[in-house]
Amino acid sequence: MRQNNNMVAMILAGGRGSRLFELTKKVAKPAVYFGGKYRIIDFPLSNCANSSVEVVGVLTQYESVLLNSYVARDHHWGLDAKDSGVFVLPPREKDETGFGEYRGTADAITQNIDFLDQMKAEYVLVLSGDHIYKMDYADMLEHHKKTGADATIAVLEVPLKEANRFGIMNTDKNDIIVEFEEKPAKPKSNLASMGIYIFEYKQLRKYLLQDEKNPDSSHDFGKDIIPNYLADGKRLTAYRFKGYWKDVGTIDSLWEANMDLINPNNELDIFDLDWKIYTEDVNAVPQFIGENADVNNALITQGCQVYGSVKNSVLFTNTVISQDAKIIDSVIMPNATVGRGAKVTRCIVADNVEIAPGAVVGNKDSENILLVAKNVSK
Amino acid sequence: MVDALGIINFEDSTADIEGLGNYRPVPAISFLGRYRIIDFVLSNMTNSGMSQIQVHIKEKPRSLIEHLGTGLHYNINSKRGKLRLLYGESKVMSEVYNHDIGSFIQNMQYIEDSNKPYVIIAPSYMIYKIDYTEVLKEHIASQNDITVLYKNVDNAKTEFIGCDTLVMDKDKHITSIEKNRGKYKTRAVSMEAYVLSKRLFIELVNRAANTSALYWFKDILREVCGELKMVGYPVRGYVACINTLPSYFKANMELRCPDIASDLFVEDWPIHTMTNDSAPTRYSKDAQVCSSVVANGCVIEGKVENCVIGRNVTVKKGAVVKNCIILPGAFIGESAKLDSVIVDKSAIVHHVKKLVGTPEAPIYVKRADRI
Repeated sequence: MRQNNNMVAMILAGGRGSRLFELTKKVAKPAVYFGGKYRIIDFPLSNCANSSVEVVGVLTQYESVLLNSYVARDHHWGLDAKDSGVFVLPPREKDETGFGEYRGTADAITQNIDFLDQMKAEYVLVLSGDHIYKMDYADMLEHHKKTGADATIAVLEVPLKEANRFGIMNTDKNDIIVEFEEKPAKPKSNLASMGIYIFEYKQLRKYLLQDEKNPDSSHDFGKDIIPNYLADGKRLTAYRFKGYWKDVGTIDSLWEANMDLINPNNELDIFDLDWKIYTEDVNAVPQFIGENADVNNALITQGCQVYGSVKNSVLFTNTVISQDAKIIDSVIMPNATVGRGAKVTRCIVADNVEIAPGAVVGNKDSENILLVAKNVSK
Repeated sequence: MVDALGIINFEDSTADIEGLGNYRPVPAISFLGRYRIIDFVLSNMTNSGMSQIQVHIKEKPRSLIEHLGTGLHYNINSKRGKLRLLYGESKVMSEVYNHDIGSFIQNMQYIEDSNKPYVIIAPSYMIYKIDYTEVLKEHIASQNDITVLYKNVDNAKTEFIGCDTLVMDKDKHITSIEKNRGKYKTRAVSMEAYVLSKRLFIELVNRAANTSALYWFKDILREVCGELKMVGYPVRGYVACINTLPSYFKANMELRCPDIASDLFVEDWPIHTMTNDSAPTRYSKDAQVCSSVVANGCVIEGKVENCVIGRNVTVKKGAVVKNCIILPGAFIGESAKLDSVIVDKSAIVHHVKKLVGTPEAPIYVKRADRI
């Protein structure tokens, strides 16, 4: 018997994340590297595992080969017990409608109604595959049941002046949602939707099938399904989340979120032994810090070799920082190497990139973070 | 793919790792930050394509059972392969009866049941890299009775004390096996790893038991030296024998050097271990670290020089840790000054002005101790 009343998680992981440029050329955004040893999707997957949500469907579409093979190895998150599993759900060819790509977040779920039926879902937890945060979904389900809601939406308090960048939930004093506004010019509330929903499956199923037939729909949860629920007077409650949450959609925000991890007081706390973030188990020796190395304010993982200076930076698996090289305010992704005497400032260096000895990349006064996705010669 | 049953044997009483050995068997001792000693022999076997492996455990099986599990993380197929943890289930009358022959006899059914025609036996306390595919191929081609792995060393006066050494003729036929008592510099040290047919192995185990109730497998080999065709097979590259606290200390320290470690850690020959899902290690603004191997999950705020730091270790600001091996989960508090110390798992070292050992006699801080 599965715990949590057969709540099945559906992670939306089909998006490209085009503002991450070369980082998402061959992989979908949820598979982008993060925090030294992780990929972004490790966070929702680990949250599921830690919340005892044992059945997880991952809806993939854009450049999905790597992501599919990555999440299919469900033992990495401990989701491999008898009744658990991570199920890869890319678009497929169908008898009547032919090959159907996912036309929107809601459509991706609609096209997998047979999967949810098969799993005997009672509740559906809809998640994004590209957000960095820790959340106990079991607690959110408790809240959902307690409030007797038809659907529950996790919300985050954001500064009011930034609220126009988010989907905003206007609520009454009991946190019942009365209105949803996508990126409002004049926000009435500062409760931003985190794109995390719990639905009663039977009811959601009806709404999805209805939406599928609507030619004017964009088949999106925020734009179509939620407004339809509200129009019908359904009870939607807000679940207030407190803590670290980041959408790492741009090079700057990806860099920032990595940098946050260096701060000893950062709210995300990936060192919490009660809520570990699980990931792929790579065969790499422990990190080696060489004789003349100089390392401060850094997050470094296994397989790294550091002979130079690393300040205020994050080094991912198997990176090599040669003697006299200087890494400042930068993020160096797996298997990248920085040659002797090279200097890297305010950069994200993509995986497997080689920076030649003596090369200088990035600038301490740059407004934006530089993405280095190709080898750099001197 | 090697057509042999792997048997990971336990060490005899010549291997005595003071302190660390009181809490777990030698194969379960933490090594180089993220590994345990048994990972090396076991990875050699699975990387060679061996899928049926037995681990014989002398005592205190808990930590090994937890670490090895079903062997999935060593690449052992959960249906076709088998990692079996075996120990003598009947009570031994005295420590001297707790030997490998006893364990083999009590578990003989699992050895006989294997469909593999050969056995490869190796202890875990010898650390090196070997491809058993090659060894077995040569063993079969040469039609010898037993192949014994060895390493030519020139430091037998001080290292490998108590180990078996091979006396061989120019064709590498073993004429006798002698204990290393530290009299000579150059010796062919036996890795105590043997390749032989399963039939002969069972025969020798029974013969050992019938000869003496105190015999180990290596004792019977010494006796049949002239009678059977035994040959040596040289191991190349780095070898460490972890049979004392100083040798444990030395091997950890040596392997900090990437040039030495590259003998053992090769891309196409991964050393598998149990993941602990630790976060990367965080170095604070005050950290000063050099010439050290650091595992994941640590928070380093102090000074660390020439050390091996295990997973989830904290070194607080103001602490100075030099030439030390800190095992997983230990906490080194603010004022601590340590030199040549081995701190066991989860120990808390607080308020210590100074703790200084030497590489030959490192100080040992007990597991979960509070200082």
